[in-house]
Amino acid sequence: MSTVPARLSGIRLARMRDLTLIPAILVLLVVGAVVDPVFLSSTNIINVLQQQTELSLLVLAETVILIGGRFDLSLESTVGLAPALGVALVIPAASNGLGTSWPSALAVPLILLVGLLVGALNALLIVRFGLSAFIVTLGMLITLRGLQIGITGGQSLFELPPSVLYLGSATWLGLPLSIWLCGTLFAVGIAVLGWFRHGRAVYAVGGNVDAARAAGIRTDRVMWIVFIVAGVLAALAGLLMTGRLGSIAAAQGDGLIFKVFAAAVIGGVSMNGGKGTLFGALCGVLVLGLITNILTLAGVSAQWIQAVYGLIILVALVLARVTTGKAQDS
Amino acid sequence: MKLLRPAILATALVVSLTACDSAATPENAGGTKPIAVDLPRADSDFWNSYAKYVPAFAKEAGINLMTPTNSQNDIAKLVANTQALTSQGAKAIVMAPQDTGAIATTLTQLEQKKIPVVTVDTRPDKGNVYMVVRADNRAYGQKACEFLGAKLGGKGKVVEFQGSLSSVNGRDRSEAFAECMQSKFPGITVFAEPTDWEGAKASAALQTRLAQHPDINGIYMQAGGVFLAPTLQLLRTKNLLVPPGDPKHIFIVSNDGIPQEFEAIRKGEIDATVSQPADLYAKYALFYAKAAVEGKTFQPGRTDHDSTIVEVRKGLLEDQLPAPLVTKDNVEDSALWGNQIGK
Repeated sequence: MSTVPARLSGIRLARMRDLTLIPAILVLLVVGAVVDPVFLSSTNIINVLQQQTELSLLVLAETVILIGGRFDLSLESTVGLAPALGVALVIPAASNGLGTSWPSALAVPLILLVGLLVGALNALLIVRFGLSAFIVTLGMLITLRGLQIGITGGQSLFELPPSVLYLGSATWLGLPLSIWLCGTLFAVGIAVLGWFRHGRAVYAVGGNVDAARAAGIRTDRVMWIVFIVAGVLAALAGLLMTGRLGSIAAAQGDGLIFKVFAAAVIGGVSMNGGKGTLFGALCGVLVLGLITNILTLAGVSAQWIQAVYGLIILVALVLARVTTGKAQDS
Repeated sequence: MKLLRPAILATALVVSLTACDSAATPENAGGTKPIAVDLPRADSDFWNSYAKYVPAFAKEAGINLMTPTNSQNDIAKLVANTQALTSQGAKAIVMAPQDTGAIATTLTQLEQKKIPVVTVDTRPDKGNVYMVVRADNRAYGQKACEFLGAKLGGKGKVVEFQGSLSSVNGRDRSEAFAECMQSKFPGITVFAEPTDWEGAKASAALQTRLAQHPDINGIYMQAGGVFLAPTLQLLRTKNLLVPPGDPKHIFIVSNDGIPQEFEAIRKGEIDATVSQPADLYAKYALFYAKAAVEGKTFQPGRTDHDSTIVEVRKGLLEDQLPAPLVTKDNVEDSALWGNQIGK
């Protein structure tokens, strides 16, 4: 969006971009139903949604950062480090803890605090000191993973306080709590980015930072907040994953960042900043989740699953291009 | 990723520079030649147990052990570490290359320098080593299949969490399990789930499969360290974690033999595991490294420690260590390494 269109048409344009993946999702739903009738059962659909909750929170975080014109690779390591550090501080040394044995009620606040601090550190280096976001967060990705391995001695943490497991494993009104949580956060995110001044400011900063500053937006403060919120969301994603898997593996979240970018980018979020919506990114997450589910139901063999997975993503992209007739930017 | 290379080189350089001092000391000290150990990764419970056994057994055998390096599951780091260790004066190297193809060139270089190599857990696809110390991974799949088949009475549906197919151990276990199921228990349907050793992938696959086939009654996981907690957590939320004897009970066989698996066997949450001998891996890797430095040679056949040396291909010997099946009946056996270490 090189020119800033009138507010109404701006929203309409964004909506168009939002819907590009809908045809791909419809095709996947049909394919899934053909592969196995179980696919459309509510149990299976709920499973797909629950399996994607952690990824969706990371995509939420990454999308806001990308719209703001920056980059964060370190989110996947926060997914592992935040729960590991939070839990290590409260469990006894005999279960691979740090020996501090703080009250276990502190675990969840500590985990979110770690995410907040990581986000703030990223912001400090990138926004305040003007370092390259790519290199800073690549460094952070390695450092945070290393910290986790150092703190836990590379062991998985098995004995977790119930409060840590709650968010990722509880069920409310027949739906996993994690789905409610992600749904709410996405609704809030879509509303804030779409209609609120602070949210629109992120687009302005990502689109043209000088123009945004000239327009009176405190660009640095906006990006500080974005990085900090992203850190907390990544920690929350780690908390959900911990609850779902019942332990914290030393490699928790490892390699997830590729999926995060894949989901965001096929969801129409630009890597150059200022463009994209959370609804589009959410569609990207759903596409990846449905593909994984269908491949499992179809029983694709281990040797071929990666090739098929990648190929379907490419087909989804082509389908989006054909149905909307709009060229996609890099 | 280009940036990583200089970083690795720099680390290697620093390591080899600091090495100059320390290399001199061992030779003066005891006269025993230094033996080096590279650990394959720092993020798995099994390998961390192995790492703890290494210095203990080295001391017991009177070996001059250099500070172990860690290649973090990265073949480039393993090569850099090997070079650093060589320049530090290592006379034998114990390693566990996780990528069994890519290590060939390094093995050739070490052979030219006349530095014997003992590989643990994995067998290189190409190249010569002094000895491979490894449990018979085909037996893991075989034992898991026979146990499950007997418990299920030859019919039912079994989910198998495969390891990574790029590792020889994952391949061996998968193939042996599939062959045994096909020939001995044709009435059992096997769903082989690719997981790349990732707990999250396994959990998602099991959840999907349970929606598709609610009557699944057996699970074979190829690594307890990564799959145990995710599986139990999922079954718990689905109310499927019931004691043996209940008709809803899902029979679970695991591989690894870590303390948490033993705990689960005691509680009746899983039924069996194959104990991969972390202690024997460390003990006999060092035993053969020492023997190599002393110039001993070995022949195929039975050994004095309940194992068999097999010539797996021309000139390549492999000591296949025993890996016992652990069930409720023998889970208290104090000889199992999982019972020896604190949790």
